Amino acid sequence: MTSRSSALSRLLADYGMVVVLALLCAFFSFATHTDQHPTGTDAARQLAASITSQFGKSARVLIAVPSQSDAAAFADTLEATLTKAGVTVVATVKGEPKDARAAMQTAASAGKLDAIATTQASAAWLVFADLPTDFPALGKPPIVQPQTYRWPNFLKRDNLLNIANQIAVIAIVAIGMTLVIVGGGIDLSVGSLIALSAVVTGVLIRDGFGGTDAGSFGMIIASLLAIAASGVAGAINGGLVTRFGLPPFIVTLAMMLVASGGAFLLSHGQSVYQVPDSFVWLGRGADFLSLPNAVVLMVLLYLGAHIVMTRTVLGRYIYAVGGNRLAAEYSGVPIRRVLLATYVASGLLAGLGGVLLASQLKSGAPTYGGMYELYVIAAVVVGGASLNGGSGRMFGTLIGAFTIAVIQNGMNLMNVESYTQKVVLGLVILGAVLLDQLRRRASQRV
Amino acid sequence: MKLHCLRLLPLALSLLVACGKPSVPPPVVVAPAPAKKGTIGVTLLTLQNPFFKVIGDSITAEAAKHGYDTIVLSADTDVARQANHVKDFIVKKCVAIVLSPCESRSIVPVIQEANAAGIPVLTVDIPCNEPGVKLLTQVATDNFGGGKEAGQAMIEALGAAGGKVAILHFKQAESCRLRVKGFREVIDAHNAKADAKINMVMELDGGGAKDVGYKAAEDALQAHGDLRGVFAINDPSALGARAAIEKAGKTAQIVIVGFDGQPEGKQAIKDGKIYADPIQFPDKMGIEIVRAIVKHSKGEDVPKELLIPTSLYRKADAMKDAELK
Repeated sequence: MTSRSSALSRLLADYGMVVVLALLCAFFSFATHTDQHPTGTDAARQLAASITSQFGKSARVLIAVPSQSDAAAFADTLEATLTKAGVTVVATVKGEPKDARAAMQTAASAGKLDAIATTQASAAWLVFADLPTDFPALGKPPIVQPQTYRWPNFLKRDNLLNIANQIAVIAIVAIGMTLVIVGGGIDLSVGSLIALSAVVTGVLIRDGFGGTDAGSFGMIIASLLAIAASGVAGAINGGLVTRFGLPPFIVTLAMMLVASGGAFLLSHGQSVYQVPDSFVWLGRGADFLSLPNAVVLMVLLYLGAHIVMTRTVLGRYIYAVGGNRLAAEYSGVPIRRVLLATYVASGLLAGLGGVLLASQLKSGAPTYGGMYELYVIAAVVVGGASLNGGSGRMFGTLIGAFTIAVIQNGMNLMNVESYTQKVVLGLVILGAVLLDQLRRRASQRV
Repeated sequence: MKLHCLRLLPLALSLLVACGKPSVPPPVVVAPAPAKKGTIGVTLLTLQNPFFKVIGDSITAEAAKHGYDTIVLSADTDVARQANHVKDFIVKKCVAIVLSPCESRSIVPVIQEANAAGIPVLTVDIPCNEPGVKLLTQVATDNFGGGKEAGQAMIEALGAAGGKVAILHFKQAESCRLRVKGFREVIDAHNAKADAKINMVMELDGGGAKDVGYKAAEDALQAHGDLRGVFAINDPSALGARAAIEKAGKTAQIVIVGFDGQPEGKQAIKDGKIYADPIQFPDKMGIEIVRAIVKHSKGEDVPKELLIPTSLYRKADAMKDAELK
C-alpha cells in the first residue's frame, strides 16, 4: 500500500461517517434536483430583452411580483430596462394577488396587454389563471417569467446555511456530551439545562436588565449568568457521580427533572419574551463572511474542543479514564477531577445552547429542549463514539450532528410527511452505526 | 491524526459555505400553465392527536383538488422544531405556510421571516395574536359558541331539577378558556330565571388528558357526593371523569358533557357514557384553509378570522353515525 492510500484508509477509519454523510448529501441533492427560478438583475435584463424581441417596442406589459425584497429589485430592474427600450410598462405590482387584480382592472380600461411579466411565485397566482373570462378587455396576454435552470434545492447556499444553523444548538451541546461519553459517563440533563438556561437568560434580562430596553452589556451578563447556572448544575452532576459513586444515568436523570421543573417554576410556565430586538444577534446575525454567528461559534468551539481532546493533558486523561479507569487511576490520573471537568463542560455548553436557542427564538420558554438529550446522544454515537467510553472524536460528533440535520432537512425538502420521517431517521441512525461498526471490525482484521 | 483533520476541514467548510450557482442560460419567454401550482407547507402542533391528523389530511385532500401539493409535518409540540420546518418551507419556496403554533410568542420571528419572503402564512386551530406578524387568516373552532352549546346540553340533561356541576378545565389553553366562558354564560343566564339552579361548585384542572381527568373527577366526587354534572373541556378528560364515576358507582346520578367529537368520544356518546359533545370539524378547518389560500391567490379578499361553528352531538346523532360500530 502506498502511504497515500493508507492515509486515506486511516482517515476513513477515523471518520467513516463522512462517507455516510456524503452519500446522504449526494442522495438529497439528486432527489431535490429541481427547476430554479432566478430573480436577480441579470434575469430581469434578459427577460426584458426577450420581451422586447418577442413583442416589439410598442408592447404593453404589466409586471407583477410578490412583496419580497429580491422580487421587488427584480421588478424595478425589469421596469427600468423595458422603459429604456421603449416598451410601455402599464403598471408594476409589488404585493399580493389582490393588488394584481386591482392593477388589471385599471389596465383593462386602457386596452389590451401584450404580456404579464412575473417571477415564478407570482406566475402561480390564480388571479392570472382565467384572464380571458375575468378580464376580456386585456386580450390574452401570456404570462412570462425568466427561464429556469436546474439545481438541487438541497445544495442552495441558503439551505446549507439553514442546515448548519438548525443543528448549531444540538452540535454545540454535543461537544460536552462527547466529553462526558468519552469519559465513560452519560448526561441526560442537557435538554432540561437548555430550557433552564433559556429561561434564566430571559428572566434576568426582563427583571434585572431593563427588559426590552436592556443594553448589550446587560444581555451579555444575563447570558453568562445563565451559562454559569447550567455549569453549576453540571458540577452538581459531576460531584455526585465522582464523590458518591452514583450512576451517571440516575444522577443526570434526576437533574433533568430538577432543571425542567426549575425552568417551569422560574417562568411560571409562560414564555419570557420581554427581550430587546438586538438579543437575536447571536442566533440570527451573520457578521463574519455572511456566515450565521451561531455557525461561526459552533465551528470555533469544535476547533477548540478538538485541540483540547488531541493536544492537551486533559484530553489524554479523559480518553484514559474512559478507556480503562483502573489503569488510569494506577497511572496517577486525577480521575475525579477529570470526570468533574467533563460534566461541568457539558453543563456549560448546554447553557450556551440554551442562550443560543433563546436568541434564535427571541424568547425563553420552559418547553425548549424537549428530547434534545436523545438527539445529542444520537449525534455523538453516530459520530463514532462508544457508549462504553474511551473512544470518540470531536469532528466525528460534528459529522454525526450534521448527518441527523441533513436527514431531517432533506426529507422536509422532499415532501416526506412526519410519521415516515421518524421511521427513516431511526433506521438511518441504526444503519449508520451498524455500518460504522462493521467497517471498524473489517479494518481491525486487516 | 492531526493531518487527517486538516484534510477534513475543507470538506466541512465546503459543506457550510459551498455552492455557487451554475451559469444562468439566457432566459427566454416561458409559456405559463404549470401543471402543479406549488406546495403548501403545513406544520401542526402534533400528529399524535388524531384531531390534527384530520386537519392535515383534509388540507392535503382539498389542496389536491386545486392542483397544489402539500407537505404535512408534526412539530411534536417543540417550537424550535416548528421554526425549522418553516425555514425549510421558505427554502422550498412553498406557496403558502400553514401552522398551528406550538408557542405563539416564540414562533413570531420565523413568521416574520416568511412574511419577508413574501409567503402568505395562515394559522389553523391555534391562533397567533402577537403584534408584528402578518397572517393571511386564522382558522379555528368557535370555542365560545361551542361552550354555549355545552351549557345548553347540560341544562337539557339536568332538566328542571338543577344541581351541582364540576368543570374539568385546562386553563393553559386559550381555546379552553373560551369554552368555559361560553358554558358559564349560558348556565348563568339559565340560573337567572330558573327555580332549580345549576351550581358550578368546582373548577378543577383536568389536564385535557384521561389520567388527570380521572384524578380530578375522583377529587370532585370526594368533595361533592351529590354532584350531578361534569363539563370536561375535551373528550379525553371527559372519559377520565367517566372512569372515576363508574368506579364510584354513580353513573346514574351524574351526566357528563364533553367537547371535541373524537371517535372515542362519539362512541362513548353512543354507549350513553357521555351525554353530548359540541363537536369540532377539523376536516372543515382544512377545507377552509385551502379555500382561503385559493381565494388569496385569485386576488380576492379573505377575512382575518374564520370561525368554524361547532354542532351539538347527542346519542340520537350517534345512533345514525355510520362511522361508529
